[in-house]
Amino acid sequence: MAVISVQGRDLIVEMEGMDKLWALKSKLTIPLAHVRGATVDPGILGEPKGIRASGTHVPGVITAGTFHRDGEKVFWAVHDALKAVVVELTDERYTRLVVEVDDPRAAVALVEQATSR
Amino acid sequence: MGRRRSFDVDEAVGAAADLFARRAYDGVSIDDLVTRLGVHRNSLYGVFGSKRGLYLAALRHHIDRDVRPQLAHVAQSEHVPVWDLLLVAAVDRAPDDLEVADLVSSVFAELDEATGDPRATAALLGQWLRRRPDVARHLETASDRDVPRANDVQETLPSKEI
Repeated sequence: MAVISVQGRDLIVEMEGMDKLWALKSKLTIPLAHVRGATVDPGILGEPKGIRASGTHVPGVITAGTFHRDGEKVFWAVHDALKAVVVELTDERYTRLVVEVDDPRAAVALVEQATSR
Repeated sequence: MGRRRSFDVDEAVGAAADLFARRAYDGVSIDDLVTRLGVHRNSLYGVFGSKRGLYLAALRHHIDRDVRPQLAHVAQSEHVPVWDLLLVAAVDRAPDDLEVADLVSSVFAELDEATGDPRATAALLGQWLRRRPDVARHLETASDRDVPRANDVQETLPSKEI
């Protein structure tokens, strides 16, 4: 599980509990200007993840860490597909983040509100 | 990043507009869009950034293609235009999304200018709303054409009794 918040002009994505370990990352800080949008997308878990660069991948159980596919670098931290949110970035190390959050709709609303002003 | 787009953005946006007009925003998933548009998920995110980004592109496309060219025409005739995405957006997304609200309001303002009277705009929107229930009935009769209608069946009954 990840917690998405906005602090000043940054989007903060913090891994909780054991996910810090699975994903080998505890916190990502992204300038809001580099956030293109967020989307609730349970279906993305069905997509090929590509090649794992670091982290943990047990299909059907957990996808966590950094994956490369088609020249894109994607950060994953998802157990439950129903709670997956996709955050699209630009000019960042990661092309996009796919993280599990407690309330996907609320997380998307937060990102949209923070990036549309 | 450096990956080339392998799809026609205009065509994809048009298909998305049709889907959003029929099922509203929450009724369309990324799976639906990927399937209907025939676009890879990562291309979809790469080009539009998010579902909202695609929705806004679809609404703008609809306004430019279907609404603005008809504005002058609408003011002069009885014809009720097919502006489903615009009007569904007004009901569905405008209260929750400032950018959608601005787009819809600006088109309504242009419509006022074209009709010369806000009451004419209101009447036009009212006509669209009033005809909505008939759309379903229209579709039903169209699909029933191959099947004998209830009236036809009744007409054949007396001959049997004779």
